Amino acid sequence: MSRINDVGGMVGFPAIVEETDEPGFHADWEAHVFAMNSALIRRGVYNLDEFRDAVERMPPAAYLEASYYEKWFAAITTLLAEKGVATPEELTGG
Amino acid sequence: MADRFGPGDPVRTRTLDPAGHTRLPRYARGAVGEVVESAGRHPLADDRARGRSTPPQAVYHVRFAAAELFGTGDHSVTVELWEDYLEAAAGRDPVQDGSDHER
Amino acid sequence: MSGDHASAAIAGQVRHVETLLERRGLLADGEIDRRIDEFLAGGSPANGARIAARAWVDPAFRERLLADANGAIGEVGLSMSGGIQEQRLKVVANSDTEHHVVVCTLCSCYPIALLGPSPTWYKSEAYRSRVVRDPRAVLAEFGLQLPPDTRIAVWDASAESRYMVIPRRPAGTAGLSEVELAGLVTRNGLIGTAAV
Repeated sequence: MSRINDVGGMVGFPAIVEETDEPGFHADWEAHVFAMNSALIRRGVYNLDEFRDAVERMPPAAYLEASYYEKWFAAITTLLAEKGVATPEELTGG
Repeated sequence: MADRFGPGDPVRTRTLDPAGHTRLPRYARGAVGEVVESAGRHPLADDRARGRSTPPQAVYHVRFAAAELFGTGDHSVTVELWEDYLEAAAGRDPVQDGSDHER
Repeated sequence: MSGDHASAAIAGQVRHVETLLERRGLLADGEIDRRIDEFLAGGSPANGARIAARAWVDPAFRERLLADANGAIGEVGLSMSGGIQEQRLKVVANSDTEHHVVVCTLCSCYPIALLGPSPTWYKSEAYRSRVVRDPRAVLAEFGLQLPPDTRIAVWDASAESRYMVIPRRPAGTAGLSEVELAGLVTRNGLIGTAAV
């Protein structure tokens, strides 16, 4: 489906900004999100395609506003709720 | 099952916009390109994202002229596409594969 | 590390979910740290640079690399198996008439197992949207001005393969060793947004 991730060929995005000497992760939590996702996929809680699908289902405005690993974390929590691992309330600590 | 297409074959991508996850980028929908080479065999991502188990199918590198995709540009864009996304374009026998229904 | 409120808030949420997963037996003790360490110790652009340098000095290796990259990189002790599963690698080589550049328009597919984490610009909507439509302008933003008659081939990593570019060997490097040559190759060169 034509979703917000499918940006190839779209016009209007700005010039590309390159960061010099960029680290692999910009904060500890990003590394933790990365590792959490690979652990959950390896355990079969969900697969990589389900993960991509969950990123793509983000509301377009939220997708464009989120940083890369913020998108990942949103998709992880979406899937944990949908797979019945935890309720949305448990996931947000509410 | 043998690969349906080989290097040099002209192919047209589907115009269908399926509900849910797909790996056919919208800029490459309904376009005619040429198969460059095989990219192996894998279960269709669309099915895996829906939790369906399906047998592997052929995946190809398909090269498009930028002008075919965007109406402008002198470069090429090579997209990696599952066989399900493709039908034979002009140059193949329409009787044999029965898929040349659009002109 | 950013110390702003947004970053602190999400760091807390991530910690919360991590604790929850540990309690439910979906994360082992120390597993997160182990996975991060393994990942950071794994891929690096230096791997791609070694492959490029070998391809420059050994034409037969270059041929094997372009025909079957997974097999060829094994010859220099590298593999695409560091991720969730072994991935197919497709290597393309620049020439004086053709320049290759790689993108993943749909998400962020990149040869992480080989090259390590991808740069943020590679994952940006700006790069993903624009490079397929107007690669010459995008490459110019990276400071790469290609001659008008150089053909540009963009590769969209839309399925299972991961891609790497072998840059052109710079002029005046005939006297350099393979290790010295590898030192010339950058991450952007291996993606195709730099000459080398």
